[in-house]
Amino acid sequence: MTIYAVNKVCYRVVHEPAFRQALRDNPAEALRGATPALSEEELAALLAGDVGRLSTMGANHFLLHQLGRFEVLGLDLPTYARRIRAAYPESAEVRRSWTSVP
Amino acid sequence: MAEVVGAVGVPHNPHFPRIVAQGGPMAEELARLYGEVTRHLRELAPDVLVFFTSDHYNIFFVESLPIFSIGVAESTYGPSDYRELAAYQIPIDSPLARRIQVHAVRSGFDVGMSQEFEIDHPVTVPLHFLTPRMDVPIVPVFVSGLMPPLPAARRCRALGATIRQALEQIPDNKRVVAVASGSFSLEIGGPRMSDTSHTGVPDPEWSERVVALLAAGKVDELVAEASEEQIGHAGNAGGELLDWIAMLGMFDPCPPAFLEAQHELGHAFAAWRVE
Repeated sequence: MTIYAVNKVCYRVVHEPAFRQALRDNPAEALRGATPALSEEELAALLAGDVGRLSTMGANHFLLHQLGRFEVLGLDLPTYARRIRAAYPESAEVRRSWTSVP
Repeated sequence: MAEVVGAVGVPHNPHFPRIVAQGGPMAEELARLYGEVTRHLRELAPDVLVFFTSDHYNIFFVESLPIFSIGVAESTYGPSDYRELAAYQIPIDSPLARRIQVHAVRSGFDVGMSQEFEIDHPVTVPLHFLTPRMDVPIVPVFVSGLMPPLPAARRCRALGATIRQALEQIPDNKRVVAVASGSFSLEIGGPRMSDTSHTGVPDPEWSERVVALLAAGKVDELVAEASEEQIGHAGNAGGELLDWIAMLGMFDPCPPAFLEAQHELGHAFAAWRVE
């Protein structure tokens, strides 16, 4: 079992419009049909839009943020960013001085 | 023989085409910076661009992940990852690309080849500004700068040097310009994002250091300092610097003809003339 299954879901969100739509219409069914199969823990975190948990499980952040960019699983980019920040509170003080890119 | 006559390096933020099209203060600055690089590129009159880019999990992620690969298709299309951006059919100098790949492997640098692919925004955004008519064919060279384990900086420079050697053995009189696409410090979607966005510039000091070394033509120092640890500290897209280092491998170190940074964004615009 690796986090690859989660990363691949994120990859497919970018490249498969039909999968993207399926995630909006019936996320549980779309995710249960994903290959390779997701673990129950991965599935629950995805369905909850819990990107903080997925991040700490080792999901790739570049891929993970695509869930927010494409607004699936209850996410958008501000929600995505808020949940990642919440998962890493120790980064907050340093982060305040960092600039953001358009 | 084919000759490396120059090189350019630019960022590829997918929002820049829209920002420039809409106008405003940042648009003017970006238009000026891309414009300066484009002016040098036009004066260099290239027949082909050797384009160093890092796939953003679009081409290679699922089936295979080469550390280095050369695109040898007849042409490519994209961007595959931002369908809302202007799409382009981009010609590839396929015979040249294949000769470079053969030379590299036979001379001991084992680089793969990619025969059919759509390109992503790190290629289309720079070309949107540099060669908007897509009238200069490219040879895409993929450097795995985003997905750890990253190649060592010295290997990336050696890749550029190997491509230069290949060009020197080619009988055609082609003018070649190397292109590098990417940032020096950039985090996308990771915990080192800013407080107000899903992106950030975790290590602007590193960006300043890179630009100082580029300005001085100190490529040895840049390669020595661009460790995996330093690149990781610069953000999860910090490995795009490796595309610049590969580009620098294609000519003897020298100061650039143009170099201007946007340190707050962790990147720079540059042009070298090596004729």
